[in-house]
Parts: sequence; structure tokens; C-alpha cells
Amino acid sequence: MSALDLSTAPGNRPATIGQFPTALRFAVRNQTRNRLAAALLIGFVPAWYALMLAIVGHQQLVFRLFATGRVLAVDGGRMTLINAGLNALSMIVGFAVFDAIRKALAFDKRLVFAGYRQLTLIGAKTLSVAVVAAAVALYAAVVLLVFWRPQPAGWLSILAGYAVIALTYGAFGLLLGVLVKGDLEGFFLIIMGGLMDTFLQNPLGNPLANKPVLEWFPSFGPMQFAVGGAFAHAALWGHLALGLVWAGAFAAAGLIVFGLKTRIRNRRSVAPLWVRHTLHQAWRRG
Amino acid sequence: MRMKLDGAALCARDIHKAYRRHQVLAGVDLRVEPGQLAGVVGENGAGKSTLLRILAGTLAADRGTVDLAGSLGYCPQQPVLSDNLTVAQHLRYFAAAHRLPDVRRGEDLMVRLGFARYRDHSAGALSGGTRQKLNLTLALVHDPDVLLLDEPYQGFDWETYLQFWDLVDEMRNRGKAIVVITHLVFEQDRFDVLADLAGGRLNVRATPEPVNGGTDVRA
Repeated sequence: MSALDLSTAPGNRPATIGQFPTALRFAVRNQTRNRLAAALLIGFVPAWYALMLAIVGHQQLVFRLFATGRVLAVDGGRMTLINAGLNALSMIVGFAVFDAIRKALAFDKRLVFAGYRQLTLIGAKTLSVAVVAAAVALYAAVVLLVFWRPQPAGWLSILAGYAVIALTYGAFGLLLGVLVKGDLEGFFLIIMGGLMDTFLQNPLGNPLANKPVLEWFPSFGPMQFAVGGAFAHAALWGHLALGLVWAGAFAAAGLIVFGLKTRIRNRRSVAPLWVRHTLHQAWRRG
Repeated sequence: MRMKLDGAALCARDIHKAYRRHQVLAGVDLRVEPGQLAGVVGENGAGKSTLLRILAGTLAADRGTVDLAGSLGYCPQQPVLSDNLTVAQHLRYFAAAHRLPDVRRGEDLMVRLGFARYRDHSAGALSGGTRQKLNLTLALVHDPDVLLLDEPYQGFDWETYLQFWDLVDEMRNRGKAIVVITHLVFEQDRFDVLADLAGGRLNVRATPEPVNGGTDVRA
């Protein structure tokens, strides 16, 4: 076997394998290989819709739109469908991303050490979370149509709310994936966090219904946007943006920790990479 | 930081490392020339893997410096792989990491180490020995100038074990500097220098003959 000639002059260097497309492709693959999450998505989402609709029926509920101050009297079953979708997405996307990120952390560190640009890896992971979140949100919004056919604008509002909650919990999963060591702690935090957050937004049998404290939870913005669009023909963009702020904050925190955990540790005491590269070139020149 | 390689490929000086109060390394010096093969032996818990991780740069030392000339390949003791990716995808990922134009060398290594038939298998479905072969291959895909191997042949069958040493000999003959952590007594005559890690320091066990015109190997 002959060794590859790595000493090609920079001007004649052949095209190299792209870091970003490679990282994006494999990050998406990693996040979509979780069979439990896939089974949950396919089976749990419709079952959850059906169950929640059966429990709530079509009783009337009162829902406050915080942006306008309007109080809506809405079909409780339909509102609960929206809420159930948000809840299912929070768990499924959070779980899938958490599991993928946590398992890949040591490998990512090895990649960075081998020369992968950290920012490239981080960018690819972020985009892969967004792609997976958007796809899963679309699926949940399409399945919703089996149970309820809102107006197209209303359905798009629900889809947008779903996409934002999926992004938020994808980012939360990313943060937990780089912080938490064990499966159990991560799953517990995602399930309990998602349940508490989304169920509090539903006025059904909820002592905190329509109280200002709800504004401090991640699903507040997506729920307000989805309900506003579906029942009041209102596009509450500020609330959708609020949901994105949660997603951005979780993602930023997670990516900072990811950056810290995958950095090369020895810059203080050992030749850093740029010194090694300089030496490498000097050595090759003889 | 001052560079004092003086022609060496790897030069570590006065490496100290403690885990809380437990001092593992207490002033390790190691110098390896291009084209030399160094073995590090020592009891369990002596700090061999800690030393190699510090040499590789995946663990920070408390004190001391490590200078390297050229590119580095590091094979950790426990395979660090992505279970959902296939063998071929691993090769592509690391070719991208090292900015290589293709995966040719990785493919060659895969054939040579006898696991080419698993190229489309997920790493999570591989046996322990095949995972270790992939682990080693990922450290070699860019034909590094300095190679640090932490018991790289665990789980290898006899044929692969012999292939591994052929590969190491070939790399040494091409001027690569190689450090291997080893436990096996019967393979210790393969090394140009053998150093015992004991009491936090490296002590040379035997003075080797110069290799490839190299002047010395000191530990």
C-alpha cells in the first residue's frame, strides 16, 4: 500500500471533501436513526390526539390571547388537539435530539481534534436540528387534519407553532445532551419539562389558566400563536418570535457548552494546532 | 512557548499530572525521533493512557510542554465511534476532518486490516475487534507524521495482529515517529526504545540501536 502524498503545494491542492455537507448529512442521519423516537412519532402522535380528544370532548373553554387581551370561547377539544400536538412534539424532538447529541459527544470531540472546524460542526448540528424539527412538526400538523380541519390560515398558524415548539425542544435536547451524562436524567427532564410547560398552557382544569405566569414558559408563544391563528384569525408574530427566543437561548447555551466540551484542551502547555501546522510545514520544507 | 525539537518528531518535557491529590505523572520526559518506534509499558493505573492523552492533546497537563513536528494521529484505548454511521461513513467523516481529497487511504487500510466486508455496516453492529480496527484506521487515514497508539490491537485476531506490525514497520521505515502503549511481553523486542512508566516517571529499559541514522532516543 502506498501512502498518499500530502505534501501537494497549496496552489495545486486537489478539492477536499467538504466539511459542512458531510457533517450535516451525518448529523441528520444520527438524529433520524433513533427507532424509539420514530415509533413514538408515527404511533404516539395520532394516539395522543385521539386520546386527548376523547377525554375532553367538545366542552367550551375560555382562552386568553395575551397580545390583544381578548378572551376567546373556543371548542375545548380542538384547543386540546393543538396543545396535545405541542406536548407530543416537545417530548419526541427533545428526546431524539438529546439522545443523538449525547451519544455523539465523544465522537465529535475526536472529529474536532482530527481537524474538523468546531464552527462547521456546530453549524451543521444546528441546521440538522432545525431540519428534523421542521419535518416532525409538519408530520404532526398533517396528522392533526385527521381529527380537525381548520381554515388553511389557521392550519398554517398551528404548523408554525408546532415548528417553533419543535425547535425549542430540539434546542433543549441539545443543551441537555451536552450537559447531562445519563439517559434517565435527560429523559426525565424532557418529559417532565415538556408536560408541565405545555399542559399549563391549556385552560382545561388548570388553576393557572390564563394567568400571566404562563408567559414564562417556552410553549407560551407557540400556543398563543397557534390558537390566535386557528380561532381568532390573528397572526401574533411577537408571540411566535418569543418562542424563537426560547429556542435561540437553549441552542446558544447548548452550543457554548458543546464548544467548551469539544475544544482541544492543551493550549496552555502543549503546542496548539496552528503551531503544529507551522512546524509541519517547516519540517516538510526540510 | 519555546520550541526545542532539535530534529525530534515528538518532545515532551517535565510533564506533570495529578487527579486531585493523586499524582500520576511527576516529571515525564520523552523524545522520539522521526523513524523511531517507542513502547511505553507499566502496571495498570501507572498513568500510561494519561500520558498518551497529554501527548495527543486531548487532556491538559498540569505542567510541562509537548512539542510535535508534523501531523498527529491518535488511537484511543477505547474505540470512539458513532454507532449510527457505517464504516465507510466514518472514513468519509475523517477524510473531511483532515481535508483529504478522497478516502483512498482509509479504504486501503480497511482492506489491509481485513474488515472491508463491513464497510456498509453500522459501527454499532460491529464486533469488538472490528470496532478496534476501525478505531485504528481513523487514526491513520491522514498518514500522520507522529502516531500515538494506546493498546491498539485489543481484540485483533492473529492475522490482523501481524498485519498491524507490518503496517507499523512500514510507517517507521517511512520516517514516522510512533509511540505505542503495550502490555505484551513477547512483542517488546519490536521497539527501538522501551520505557517503563513507574512512580510517575519514564525510565528507559534498554538502550536501542540507532534507527534510520537517528542519533538517540531518550526517555
